Amino acid sequence: MDDDVERAARKVRDVEQAVSEHVARSGPITGRASSPDGAVTVIATPGGPPQQIAVSPAALRMGPQGLAAEIMRIAEKAQRNASSRLHQTLERVVDPRELTELGFARGQDDDEFGWRR
Amino acid sequence: MAAVNEERLQATEQLQHDLARTAETVEHPNGLCMVTASAKGEIKALHLHPALLQQGAQAVGEVVTETVRLATNAAVQTSFNKMALALGDGMAIDVESIAGDSPFRSTWNPVVPPKSAADEAVQERRPRSPIVEDPDEDAFFENPFGRR
Repeated sequence: MDDDVERAARKVRDVEQAVSEHVARSGPITGRASSPDGAVTVIATPGGPPQQIAVSPAALRMGPQGLAAEIMRIAEKAQRNASSRLHQTLERVVDPRELTELGFARGQDDDEFGWRR
Repeated sequence: MAAVNEERLQATEQLQHDLARTAETVEHPNGLCMVTASAKGEIKALHLHPALLQQGAQAVGEVVTETVRLATNAAVQTSFNKMALALGDGMAIDVESIAGDSPFRSTWNPVVPPKSAADEAVQERRPRSPIVEDPDEDAFFENPFGRR
């Protein structure tokens, strides 16, 4: 059992090393999404909580429930973009099937196009 | 040995199923925002108090970001706890040695942020407790005519 754990730890360390060298070159991997009218903008990390949620003064007029729903919608989209980006960045270092299995699917990254659905 | 492995495999499968559904609900210390988040940082539910919107757009963004982070930390910690229950503390410690400390270990108290982004909610007004008159009767005995 201990050998297995050590082997797993070594493998994780190796992948981590390769990944961090890769990320050091490409910069931190995040995903971004905005509402069509710019009311809510979210910068998400893959597999973690959002790094930043920004709300425009005009968005306050949506009311608590409307704004909450919009934040959830945009946050999900931003995280999808972040996951897709992680997949694209790492598929050369890590087996893409494993990335997809971990929940980082390669999808249509609509980051550059703003809010296109 | 084979039976032990089979048992462990089943425990792992059950665990993966459990962890995928683990989500925790956390209220921001200022009481104006409540978030349910998964260990992967997905927001499952979000509730904003109308008073939070009155504090301005920037405060809303900061408070929501902070609350999602707290809820995610709580969900990750719950995942660690479930794993320790299913596979034993030894396995949980092994995983921590690979994946990094659990939130409970890496933050002294995850519920209290260093600085709050917005003011506290206004406290309810409570009736003031009645002022007890000095029950000491010495003054009466010193000057029995002065009292009435």
